[in-house]
Amino acid sequence: MSLLEASALNISFRTAAKPINVVNNLSFAIEESEVFGLVGESGCGKSLTALSIMGILPPNAYAVGSIKFRDKDLLKLDSESMRQLRGKELAMIFQEPMTSLNPVLTIGYQIAEVMTTHFGLSKKEAFNKTVELLRDVRMPSPEIRIKEYPHQMSGGMRQRVMIAMAVACNPSLLIADEPTTALDVTIQSQILELLQKLREERKMSILLITHDLGIIAENAQRVAIMYAGRIAELSDAKELFQNPRHPYTMGLLNSLPKERGVPLKPIPGSVPQPGRLPDGCKFSDRCEFVIPECRTEEPELRLLPENISGSSHFARCIRSEVISWNYSG
Amino acid sequence: MELLRVEALKKYFPVKRGLAGPSQWLRAVDGIDFSVDEDRIFALVGESGCGKSTVARLVLNLATPTSGKIFFGGKDISELKSTSLKAFRRSLQIIFQDPFASLNPRMTVFDTISEPLKIHGIVEKKNMKDACAELLKKVGLGAEVLNRYPHEFSGGQRQRICIARALAVGPKLIVADEPLSALDVSIQAQILNLLQELKRETKISFLFISHDLKIVHYFSDAVGVMYLGKIVERAKTEDLFREPMHPYTVVLLESAPRIFHSPTHPQARSPKVIGDVPSPIHIPPGCPFHPRCPRRFEPCDKFVPLLEEPVSKGYSGRLVSCHLWNPWE
Repeated sequence: MSLLEASALNISFRTAAKPINVVNNLSFAIEESEVFGLVGESGCGKSLTALSIMGILPPNAYAVGSIKFRDKDLLKLDSESMRQLRGKELAMIFQEPMTSLNPVLTIGYQIAEVMTTHFGLSKKEAFNKTVELLRDVRMPSPEIRIKEYPHQMSGGMRQRVMIAMAVACNPSLLIADEPTTALDVTIQSQILELLQKLREERKMSILLITHDLGIIAENAQRVAIMYAGRIAELSDAKELFQNPRHPYTMGLLNSLPKERGVPLKPIPGSVPQPGRLPDGCKFSDRCEFVIPECRTEEPELRLLPENISGSSHFARCIRSEVISWNYSG
Repeated sequence: MELLRVEALKKYFPVKRGLAGPSQWLRAVDGIDFSVDEDRIFALVGESGCGKSTVARLVLNLATPTSGKIFFGGKDISELKSTSLKAFRRSLQIIFQDPFASLNPRMTVFDTISEPLKIHGIVEKKNMKDACAELLKKVGLGAEVLNRYPHEFSGGQRQRICIARALAVGPKLIVADEPLSALDVSIQAQILNLLQELKRETKISFLFISHDLKIVHYFSDAVGVMYLGKIVERAKTEDLFREPMHPYTVVLLESAPRIFHSPTHPQARSPKVIGDVPSPIHIPPGCPFHPRCPRRFEPCDKFVPLLEEPVSKGYSGRLVSCHLWNPWE
């Protein structure tokens, strides 16, 4: 059984006029102790998906459908049972660690709070456990750092604090929303390595949200590519990069600089705004393989008959079998 | 022909001010040399806080160096007064990272692009609309956008407007400070293609500042790698990426996540750097990179390496500041 299973998830914003749908009919499953990657450009709905799992959508947004976590439907839980799951079973780290930490409390206090809340540990026990956690996340001299405030730390160290807080109660699912986007590359690789190590030790699953395909290629087992609130393609990560079957995925890969002097092949135009999506396939107005049928009916996310690795590969495109892609680089 | 030359450039910022003047200095730029030739792209690469943006501000004459000289077209820019300073500003333009912050929200596209044309008296008032439409065409926008405001555009379109504004005065050199970092992957490729097209047509030189090695590899002719205010390696782009010499360059290259792994770059990575970049207030003695360097040996914490041609190891035409490559006794 999957650890988490989202089916027919829709997220919309209430407006004065009619609601604006931003995540549409999303279905995916995260298995035990895997890294599941969610990729897309800004505004594709990947962060809202994460927030809806955590039950912390902004007040003007609402989700329908179901998000099954073990045997519970997260969308049906009352706020008290959701609060008990959050932090204990589900944890999340964000892009900008500075804005997610309280600037007027020591980091030791902030980490210990998670454990006193969920496990009722005494102050002393929580303190010792915190030092241990900081050591787990490779914080240099944790006994000293525990008394420091967020502003005294670098971006990489603050993200380590966030991770320590997130894993304090051994969650089964860690949602990492662009965890390294604000960090330099050398620190990024340290943080990603740390997340992988923690995942192995603690047997937790990670939902890794990013716009960086390189990070997905090196860290995720399975990946979903999102476009305009929908999953465009879902597959084993290896398979996806060797054999992309959706024109959007191909476009993303073609946009990356390869050989010097070879002009890039960008995706024309820009992401349409929610509420102003084209009819039919939502990618049709930017797609180089478009045919008239694409514009009339929106394609389903369907299982493709053949693939390289033998794993299941889904794409939301009626032309997946006929279009070809060649990566030179 | 050499367009810009930077010699022994330093910029120190005072940190703690005492009665007897500043007691501490932040060494943002600590003695760097490089030059940009006509019709060439020189890239400065480095992580946040390495001083690359300070270099941009110094080159643009927006900040005064603590010591060192900057020559533009053979003239020392610190000696420029009134009219020659205005001419200098006309030949040097900048594109910033964040196209959301670098356009005035209360000015229409027409106001924004025509302003430099007015200030420098390039175009007569009656021809202004046509001149602006022409500039917009160059960056791939239509004349119909002239009366719109920045908030009506996407990030990529805004960056196009910023580029049109920079092109308006017919500059010889454009300083591009992380011009792609705020954009989505598919839009990055569009802007990168645009910059390359403009470069081919106009022969404008670029000082290209970036932390993204893939883009630097693709776009630039020569590269300077910065670490804590110093250039640690400088070479032609092909040379640097074919055979990085400085351990920091190697680390940077290996830390960047890759989608595809060639046999020469196996997925199992060689030693990573430990810890964070030290504060530029307390730069380590000897080689500034030694506390994090995977290949340090006895001279590294004692002697400051010079940026030299590693002739004794049989290399020429490139510079590296590392005891592994240059004799240190």
